[in-house]
Amino acid sequence: MAGRESGYAYLTLLPVLLIMAAFSLYPIGYALYLSLHREVLTDPLNNPYVGFQNFSNALHSYYLTSSLVSTAAFMAMAVPSVMIFGLLAALLLNEAFAGARILRVAILLPWAMPAVVSGIVWRWMLNGDYGILNSALFQLGIIHDYIPWLSQPALARVGLAVAHVWREGPLAAIFFLAGLQTISPDLYSAAAVDGAGRVAAFRRITMPLLRPTIVIVLIYETIVAATTFDLVYVMTGGGPADATSLISWYAYAEVFKFLDLGTGAALAFLIALVLLAVIILYLRVLRSEERR
Amino acid sequence: MLVFILGPILWMLDSSFQGETELLTRPSHLLPQQPTIANFNYIFTGAVPQGLNVRGTLRSRISQEAREVPAALENSAIIALTVALVNVALGALAAYTFARLKFRGKSLVFNFLLGTRLLPAIAVAIPYYAIVSALGLLDSYLGLILVYLTFSLPFTIWFLRDYIISLPIDIEEAAQIDGCSRLQLLLRIVLPLAAPGLAAAGAFAFMSSYNEFLFALLLTQTISSQTLPVILSSVATNPDASLALIATSVVLAMVPPLLFAIAFQRFLTRGLVAALGKG
Amino acid sequence: MLSIEALVEGLTTGRLSRRGFLQGAIALGLSMSGAVALLEACTSGTPGTSGADLTFVVWSYGVETIKDNIKKLEAKVSGLHVNFQDFAWTNYHDTMVARFAAKTPTDVCYSSDHWLSEWAAAGWLTPLEQKYPDLNAYTSDYFPYVIQGMTYQGKNYGIPYYADTWAFLYNEDHLKKAGISQPPTTWDELTQQSLQIKSKGIANYPVILLFAQDDPGSIEVWTSMVFSLTDGHLFDESLNPVFNRSGSAAAKTIDWVANALNTSKILDPASLTSQEIPVVKAMESGAHTFTILETYNQAELNKSGSGPFSGQFKMAPMPGDTHNTVGYVRFYAVTDQLTKRDANVVKFGDQFLQYFGGKPDGAISPVVKRWAVENGLGFGWKSLWDDADVRKAFSTWGSPDMLRQNQQLARSKEGLTKYYPSWDVFTRGELQKAYLKQVSTTTALSAMADKWNSLKKG
Repeated sequence: MAGRESGYAYLTLLPVLLIMAAFSLYPIGYALYLSLHREVLTDPLNNPYVGFQNFSNALHSYYLTSSLVSTAAFMAMAVPSVMIFGLLAALLLNEAFAGARILRVAILLPWAMPAVVSGIVWRWMLNGDYGILNSALFQLGIIHDYIPWLSQPALARVGLAVAHVWREGPLAAIFFLAGLQTISPDLYSAAAVDGAGRVAAFRRITMPLLRPTIVIVLIYETIVAATTFDLVYVMTGGGPADATSLISWYAYAEVFKFLDLGTGAALAFLIALVLLAVIILYLRVLRSEERR
Repeated sequence: MLVFILGPILWMLDSSFQGETELLTRPSHLLPQQPTIANFNYIFTGAVPQGLNVRGTLRSRISQEAREVPAALENSAIIALTVALVNVALGALAAYTFARLKFRGKSLVFNFLLGTRLLPAIAVAIPYYAIVSALGLLDSYLGLILVYLTFSLPFTIWFLRDYIISLPIDIEEAAQIDGCSRLQLLLRIVLPLAAPGLAAAGAFAFMSSYNEFLFALLLTQTISSQTLPVILSSVATNPDASLALIATSVVLAMVPPLLFAIAFQRFLTRGLVAALGKG
Repeated sequence: MLSIEALVEGLTTGRLSRRGFLQGAIALGLSMSGAVALLEACTSGTPGTSGADLTFVVWSYGVETIKDNIKKLEAKVSGLHVNFQDFAWTNYHDTMVARFAAKTPTDVCYSSDHWLSEWAAAGWLTPLEQKYPDLNAYTSDYFPYVIQGMTYQGKNYGIPYYADTWAFLYNEDHLKKAGISQPPTTWDELTQQSLQIKSKGIANYPVILLFAQDDPGSIEVWTSMVFSLTDGHLFDESLNPVFNRSGSAAAKTIDWVANALNTSKILDPASLTSQEIPVVKAMESGAHTFTILETYNQAELNKSGSGPFSGQFKMAPMPGDTHNTVGYVRFYAVTDQLTKRDANVVKFGDQFLQYFGGKPDGAISPVVKRWAVENGLGFGWKSLWDDADVRKAFSTWGSPDMLRQNQQLARSKEGLTKYYPSWDVFTRGELQKAYLKQVSTTTALSAMADKWNSLKKG
C-alpha cells in the first residue's frame, strides 16, 4: 500500500517541489558564489575570487556594529510591545461586549494593508510641522512646541516601533484570540468554584495553556522585527544619523548605495545564519514546552 | 483601542479631501473645512489640482507616479489572486498527501519545504533577482507570481495539512473501500469539507502577496508590473509630491485590503483556531 | 490525450510501469513548460520601446513644465514620441541604479555631477563624442564648474539641464525687526545674530539647514560651508583627504553645526530630516531667518503668494573667509542603450538634446531660457546672462549682481570620482552623528577618511 501510493504522493508534490527547489537551492548556491567573489557594479569586469574577503568586510564593517545595535534596540522595543498589545487586545476581544464584533473586524485592518502604508501614515502623523500627533498634543497642552519626532535618533526608533506595533499587533492579537478560544470555559468555571480570582485564573490557566501559542508568535514576531525593511524604507531611510539603519537596511544599502554585491551577499548569509540559530533555539524551547 | 487602530486610517481618509494649503495649517483641521476632490481627480484624469498653483510654488507639486496608482492596484490584485488560487490548488494537493499518505522521505520533504521559509528575504534578494532576470521574467507578472509562490506555499501546505488532519477520516476510509482513488477522494470528499480552511489559506496567501514590498521593488521596473506598495512608497517618499496627493494615493491603496479583510475576517480567525487547536 | 488523472490512476492501480510514469512525467513537464513559455510571452516584459519611442527619465521637479516642453518638441519633430517618467529626487540614484542594472529601456536621463563618474565607469552612460559630437561644441560657453561636473576621464558626458550655486539666504524682515542692518559675513557673526533674533522671540530656531540624509543636496550644503573658509578643501590634487587634518575647514564646519544644534540651539533639530521642500516651506512661513539653499529657491521664496514674507528674502555671500560656495550642474545624459539603437532613433535623440539643452535653430534652447525665466533655475551657459528677458526675470526676485558674484565664487565639489556617491552616502550619516555629538568631530572625519581610502583602493 505504501509503495503503490508513493507514485501518487511524489506526483502531487512534484510541482511544489520544482518551484521550491528552483527558488531555494539555486539562490543559495548563487548567493554563495557572489559572496566569494568581488562584485562591484561600477567595476563589472573585475570579478576575481576573493575567498572570505567579503565576509571579513561585512564583519569588520563600520556599519555592522551600529546596525546590530539599532536592530537590537528596535527589537527590544517592538517585540515585547507587539506581544503585550496582542495579548491585551485578545483578552479584550475574548470578552463579549457591545461593539466586540466591530472591533474584531477592525483589528485586522492594519495588518491587512502593506507595511509601507503603516510607515507612510505614521510618518505623516509624526511630522514635526503638520503632524496630527503634534497637533493633538499641542492642543491638549502637553507640549509647547511641535516635536520633530523622526529627526531625533531615539524618538525616530520609537516612531518606527509604533508603526511596527500598529501593523503587527493585530496579527498577534488574532493568534492569541484563536489560542484563547481553544481553552475550554469549563476550566475557568472550575477555578471560580475553587475560589480563584481573575488574576490567579489568568496566571494558572490562561498563561500555561497559551504558552505554545506565545512561543509561535514570539518566533514569528522576532523574525519579522529582525528583518524589518519596508518601514525603514518609507519612514526614515535609515536616519537620522543611522539610528534606524536596521540590519536589513544595511544589507540593502550595501547593494544599492555602495553597489557592492559581494559584500551584500556575504552580509545576507551572515544574517541568515544568525536568524537560523535563533529559530533553532526557539524551536528547542518549543519542543521542550510541548513535552511538558 | 479603536482610536489607535482606526484613527490613522480615518485621518488619511480625512486628509485626502483637504487641499494642500489646509493640510499645512497648525494645528491640523480635524474635518476638512474646504473639502475638495481635486486630488482624486488628478489621479484618475490628470487634471492638475488648482490649489497647487494658488499656493505660490513655481513648480507643480505633482508626480506622474501618482497617476499610476490605479494601474498598480490592478497589478497587485491580479498577482495576489493568481498566487492565492495556485496556492489553494497546489497546496491542497500537497497538503492532502502529507496529511494522509505514508511514503518514503515524507518528513524530509516536509521539513525541506518548511525550512525554505527560514531564509530571511534580504538574504535571497540578489539571487532571486538573478534567477528571475535569467529567466527573462523581470518586470512581469509571472516573475512575481513565482517568487510569491515560494514564499506562501510552505505556510499554506503546513496549515492545510494540519487542517486536513483534523477532519474525521471515516468518510475517506469508507470511500476508499468503495474503490475511490486518492485523487477522487481529495476532489470529491476532502476539499468540500476543508472549504473554510482553503478559504483561510487562500486569504493568507492573497494578503501576504498583495502586501509584499521588497521583492516587488527589486523585480519590477515599470508600471506594467509594479505593484501597489512599490508605487505608493515611491509617491509617498517623493518630496516633490504634494501632501494632499500622497494622502489620496494612500486612501486609494487602502480600499482593496480593507474590503478583503472585512470579507474574509471570519475565515481567518476560524482557520487559525482550527490550526492552533491541534498544535 | 495525457491527463493528470489518467497518469495518477495508472500509477495507483499499478498498471503503469516506472518507465511509463517517467515518460508521462516528462511529457507533462514539457507541456507545462510550454504553457509557462506561452504565459511568459503573454505577460512578461515591458511594452517595449517601439519604433521611435525615446524614454526620458527625470526626477519630479516641474513635471508639468517638462510635459509641456515635450509636447512642443513632438509637434516640431514628426515621428518622435517621448516616453516620459519621473521619480523622487531623494531616491533617484537608487532607482536609476536598479534601472540600469535591469537594462530597463532608458535613452536620456537626468544626472547630477554627484553620480556621473560612477555611472560612466559602470558603462551606463556614454560620452557625447560617440554619437553627438556637435553637442560637444558648446562647452566653451559653459562655466568651469559645469564643465568639471560633466567630464569624466577627459570626455564630456552631457548638456546642462540647469546649473546653479548654493546660496546663503536670509529673511530681511527678521533682521530689521532685530535691529540688524547687515547680514553676517562670518559664521561667528551668524551665531551672534541668531542669538539676538532668538532672544527677541522673532524665531525660535533662526537657522535651518537642508541636512536630510536622503537628499543629495545635503552634502552640497556642508561642502559649501567648508568651501567658504580658509583652506576650504576636502581633498588635495591627488584626491587624498585633507578634511581629517586637525583644524581643517571641515572640522570647523562640523564644530559650528554641532554647537548650533546642541549648545546655542540656534539650529532647528528638524534640519536632520528636512529635505529641500520642507526647508523652503519653513522659511516661507517665517519660522526661520537663515538658510543655505539652491539659488533658484530665492525665486521660490520671493514669489508673490508664497507667504507673509514674500519678497523679503535676500542673498548674501556665504559667510566665512573666502565666501566660496558650491556650484553644481544637473544635466541630460545619454545612455549606453541609446547609442546602440537604430540610426533614426539616435537622430531623434540628437534633436531631443538640442531642443532641451543645446542650440536648436542657432539660439540657446528655449527650454533652458524657460526654466530660467519661469522658475529661476540657473543655467550653464555664460552667454545667457546677456539675455535681457533673463536679467529682467531674475531681478524680480533677486539681485543679478549678487547672483553673478555668487557664481564667480562657486567651485565644483571635490572628489567627484566613481566612488564619490558611495562615500557621499556614508558621509551623510557620519556628519549627522557628529552634529548630534554622538561621536566626536575627529572620529567622524577619520571614519570618512578611512571610507574614502578603502573605496579608492578598490
